[in-house]
Amino acid sequence: MTGSFSSLNTALTALRYHRVTLDVASNNVANAATEGYTRRRAVGESLGAGAVPALWSRYPDGLDAVGGGVGVKGVDRLADGLLDARSRSENGRSSCLQLRSTVLQRVESGLGEPGTTGVAAALASFRTSWHDLANTPESGAARGQVLARAEALVDAVHAQAAAIDEESATQRVSLLSSVTEVTTRAGELAATNRAISAAALDGVDASDLLDQRDQIAMRLAQLTGGKAVTRPDGGFDFNVGSVALVSGVQAGTLSVATGVTASGAADGNPVSLTVTLGATTTTTGALGGEIGATTELLDTTLPGYASGLASVVEGLATQVNGLHTAGYDATGATGQAFFTFTAGDAARTLSVNLTSPTQVAAAATPGGVIDGTQADRLAATGAAEDAYTSLVTGFGTTVASAQRLSSTQDLLTKQVDSAREQLSGVNIDEEMVTMLAAQRAYEAAARVMTVVDSVLDTLINRTAR
Amino acid sequence: MTTVRVTQNMITNRSLSAMQAAQARLAVSQEQLSTGRVVNRPSDSPTAASVAMRFRSAASQQESYVRNADNAMSWLGTIDTTLSGMSAGVRRARELGLQGASTGTTSPAARAALAAEVDQLKESLVSQANATFLGRPVLGGLTPGATAFDATGAYVGVPGQVSRTVADGVKVRVDVTGTDVVGPNGSSLFDDLETLSTALAAGDDTTIRSTLASLETRLTTINTVQADVGARYNRVEAASQTAKDSIITLQTRLSEVEEADLPATAVKLQMQEVAYQAALAATSRVMQPSLLQFLR
Repeated sequence: MTGSFSSLNTALTALRYHRVTLDVASNNVANAATEGYTRRRAVGESLGAGAVPALWSRYPDGLDAVGGGVGVKGVDRLADGLLDARSRSENGRSSCLQLRSTVLQRVESGLGEPGTTGVAAALASFRTSWHDLANTPESGAARGQVLARAEALVDAVHAQAAAIDEESATQRVSLLSSVTEVTTRAGELAATNRAISAAALDGVDASDLLDQRDQIAMRLAQLTGGKAVTRPDGGFDFNVGSVALVSGVQAGTLSVATGVTASGAADGNPVSLTVTLGATTTTTGALGGEIGATTELLDTTLPGYASGLASVVEGLATQVNGLHTAGYDATGATGQAFFTFTAGDAARTLSVNLTSPTQVAAAATPGGVIDGTQADRLAATGAAEDAYTSLVTGFGTTVASAQRLSSTQDLLTKQVDSAREQLSGVNIDEEMVTMLAAQRAYEAAARVMTVVDSVLDTLINRTAR
Repeated sequence: MTTVRVTQNMITNRSLSAMQAAQARLAVSQEQLSTGRVVNRPSDSPTAASVAMRFRSAASQQESYVRNADNAMSWLGTIDTTLSGMSAGVRRARELGLQGASTGTTSPAARAALAAEVDQLKESLVSQANATFLGRPVLGGLTPGATAFDATGAYVGVPGQVSRTVADGVKVRVDVTGTDVVGPNGSSLFDDLETLSTALAAGDDTTIRSTLASLETRLTTINTVQADVGARYNRVEAASQTAKDSIITLQTRLSEVEEADLPATAVKLQMQEVAYQAALAATSRVMQPSLLQFLR
């Protein structure tokens, strides 16, 4: 034994080390339910067992294996960069599909098909009213009924077109707010990058900053489906649509270039986004995440359904007008156009042109005779109903496939997240065991102190007598 | 993927998502039971939704055909009654003519009485020929007026066909043009009666006999038309029955496609309820224990 007090020092290092272990465990327990927290682990190393034989080695007889205690090597943050990257990309895809599926389901339930209300029912009752008029062409009531049913049909079509427009408007506003959020988050990520780099220089533990960095990157991935690239100093660069949004401590601004005006109105163009980083502005490629879903809805799905509806309505109005202008009304005059509409935008602009029941042209022969032949021909117009059915069921197929994709992706995302949780999550039992071990080791080290103290007591106080 | 470590958060998340999935399945069964339908929106089953919409549209079409057929049967029924009445009237006129033609048995006063009755008969026949259904003279074609014949028995209707669609592409004529029954203006049934009345009053046997022959032909014409009307009535009745049958078929198939099988759905709901309760129980058991409870 080279020094009388070295064992006391060894016991002291043990006390210190186990205090740190307890601290780390208590911090883990405290954050067991914290969103985005990655568990830590204190890593110890034994001190003083020099690998190189030294001149003043304390144990010349070769007992070098006895060290000088324990020290804290560091605190590990148990995260796997690859798993995190995978989780971000799956979450980005998942939020894209989920948003798409949610919005499509909302639009679908607004259609009210199949059922006894809605456009299909209005089309059927419009056609039935022509049958009734064909049976009683002399009746003013039957003529009035044709007009009333036509108005009901126009209302149903308008309501559906308005529901689609309303959903588009909601999506435009949500696009604007998502884009703003991306810019804000990009700023936060750049600030976090700066703090991480400073912490690395100062040698301070950056675990909390890294947690924060991961959380911001996750949110950015959910919004844009973008990719994070780790920097040598531990920060993240972030790319959206193959364009750099965050580069080190520099944050770019994401903005809507075309498609949506600042006030949330449509400008008639497809949606395109730009990133302004420093002095350069670049148009991004296709985005994923929530913004990608919104863009796809605004550019393809919603306009697709709206134009499908418009062409069904235009087909009906053209057919009815064609037959109606070939007939003669109650006064014997040639029939006028039954519907008016703007070509290409029939669903929004459809309206009934006739103002009086006598203008309904039920007769195929002029001269004010009582004839329902033309009304009978008008009752045989079933093409619009078939076209509408295939439009609605086509949309139903889109919704069903979006739901399936979303639930499949959800399963995958959950699995990847669970793998990440396996590595990074806090297990309270495990922390209890760590605490218990630390507590016992602490007690043992304290015991070592007592023993050494009593040994020294024997030496100092009893041998001198 | 082998699970190496399990954390409390993993258990919580898995329990939550399992319970949510169980609840979502419950919600689907509950919706099917409370609405009574398995297809509540097109995405539930696009094929079934398409079939349902087509069936519904076809059923409304068939209902229109049934209404059209009812209307057609009323028209044809009215015409049938009218023609029966007219046929009886013409027969009576013939009897009167025969009485008048039996020479020697009839005095001038009796002939005058016969002539007066023929005049009455003519008036009654004109009014029968003006029979209406819902205000429209059934023998008047497309006329906007209220009568097919004026008081003198001249045809004032507008010739033209009144048809009803009683099945896909099947149109049945439901009217009879007045002149097809009584003959054209100038040589019509009413003109014959006029002649008969004049001849009876004057005792002109030759004219009476020729008119009697003419009335015989009229009677044949009326009976022929009546037979034709009866045939059309049968056609319409058959079409109406077909349409009614197809409505029932369509509704049955619609309910097969669209409606929930109640017992099966109820059993499914029961099973899902059990599964949900099991998920709840498992969660409460798994979340409870921790090493903390065993450390003193």
